[in-house]
Amino acid sequence: MSATPRPSLLQATAAVVRNELRLWFLAPGGWVFLAASLLLAGLFFTLSIGTTGEASLRGALPNLGVTLVFTLPLVTMRQLAEEARAGTLELLLTAPVPPLALLLGKWLAAVALCTLFLALTFPFPVVLFSWGDPDPGVLFTSYLGLFLCCCTFSAVGLLASALTADPMVAGVLGVLFLLPAWLASAAEALAPPHLAPVLARVSLADHLRSFATGVLDTGDLAWFGIVTALGLFGTWRALESRRWR
Amino acid sequence: MIETRELTRRFGRTVAVDAVTTSVADRGLVGFLGPNGAGKTTTMRMLTGFLPATSGEAVVAGFDVFEAPLEVKARVGYLPEHPPLYPELTVGEYVRFVAEIRGVPRARRLARVGEVLAAVGLTGWEGRRLGTLSKGYRQRVGLAQAIVHDPRLLVLDEPTAGLDPAQVVSVRRLIRELAHDRTVVLSTHVLSEVEALCDRILLLHRGRLVGDGTVDALAERVGRGPWVELALDAPPEDPRGPVAALDVVETVEQLDAGRLRVRGGPEVEPALAALAAARGWRVRALVRHRARLEDVFLALVGEEA
Repeated sequence: MSATPRPSLLQATAAVVRNELRLWFLAPGGWVFLAASLLLAGLFFTLSIGTTGEASLRGALPNLGVTLVFTLPLVTMRQLAEEARAGTLELLLTAPVPPLALLLGKWLAAVALCTLFLALTFPFPVVLFSWGDPDPGVLFTSYLGLFLCCCTFSAVGLLASALTADPMVAGVLGVLFLLPAWLASAAEALAPPHLAPVLARVSLADHLRSFATGVLDTGDLAWFGIVTALGLFGTWRALESRRWR
Repeated sequence: MIETRELTRRFGRTVAVDAVTTSVADRGLVGFLGPNGAGKTTTMRMLTGFLPATSGEAVVAGFDVFEAPLEVKARVGYLPEHPPLYPELTVGEYVRFVAEIRGVPRARRLARVGEVLAAVGLTGWEGRRLGTLSKGYRQRVGLAQAIVHDPRLLVLDEPTAGLDPAQVVSVRRLIRELAHDRTVVLSTHVLSEVEALCDRILLLHRGRLVGDGTVDALAERVGRGPWVELALDAPPEDPRGPVAALDVVETVEQLDAGRLRVRGGPEVEPALAALAAARGWRVRALVRHRARLEDVFLALVGEEA
């Protein structure tokens, strides 16, 4: 046979992304995630503007974040765990797919799904602009903060999915990883004095807060970036170590 | 096509594959046998780049499996024991996806998917969901995904498991055709399949390569080579003495009254016929029996396995 073709990094990544999205929307998973997240988001949005009367996402933002803490692991849980259980991981790992393409493809697919959820919350700005006078810059940074949550939670959820061959366990693990990271500052008052400042700095909820006020802080951006990178790196290591067990 | 040197894989303290050294030609069918737990799947997983080795080397299609895994994976097709299917996808969606990740160029993809589905007898099944297929059809889809990129090495783990007899025949024919211009490694417990298809056998037992060669050569090695059965009708004398006295005969064994197992060269039958005629024995049967893979397998692996 002639020259042996194999997909480029980009082609392989795109193939993995398309397949992930297709699998979510052929099974109920993707639809349930969107429906549940939108329902909760609408509820928090309504409650927040109803109680504060403020034309912004400031009140709703932490709750939108926490919604994703609970719903995003439910879509990432199948990504590697189910593939390991069903044996399709063997298909992916014996195809000439660069490991980086597999990792990025899986992650980008989850980010894309989560971004679709954000896009479907477009009625929120519509409502705010129709009945109030929101600051477009603040709305933009609020959405940017939520998008960073999508990126970070997807990476952490993927890590959970790489650690087990049981999707259910992966889902629970994902929430278990995210919730303490989200709420770390809540334990600040109880923590020993030398640990308290650390907890305040690592809490994802605290880092999201400044986005809600229109402030773009490099420290916040960096923290989301670091946790995302750690999640992806951990996933890669977990996939590697699976081959050694 | 395959060169391994001291290929070894441990899981904790268990040695799954123990210093396997062998070499497989660029075309033809190789039967890969061994009892359950012998290390066959682990070996295949190492050759396909799914598992790393603990030590040793493996070169497939000219590339080191552990140093250039993507080059190897691009040239290898693999059907694991359980076909790796996504139940949500249709047959067409699935094989197209595999063609895509295996690097079949976009322009050729649709035509190629049609070709392989035809080859495994799945034309017209493109729209069926994988989750609704029976075992035999799942197996055929698994075979289609393994050959969609026209691999130079095809590794098949129990390819005919779950197929009905007619499907078995057609899949065997397909495997034989595929082996004309590539190497096919066939792992199975169906020894008759190996006898029918394979020129060469690799036999693994407790992680070690205990047999490597043709059925006849291995049979010869374990003393279970081809033999001639001589059955006589009420022989007037014990035939063992005169038979053993023939030059071409190596060994003689009595099977039961009047029936002998005779081993020797290809001249054994005419010599026995001539002897019987000279002695006035009435011959009921004079038959050459081929070496049986089952006997070879049991001799090399031991009855306990």
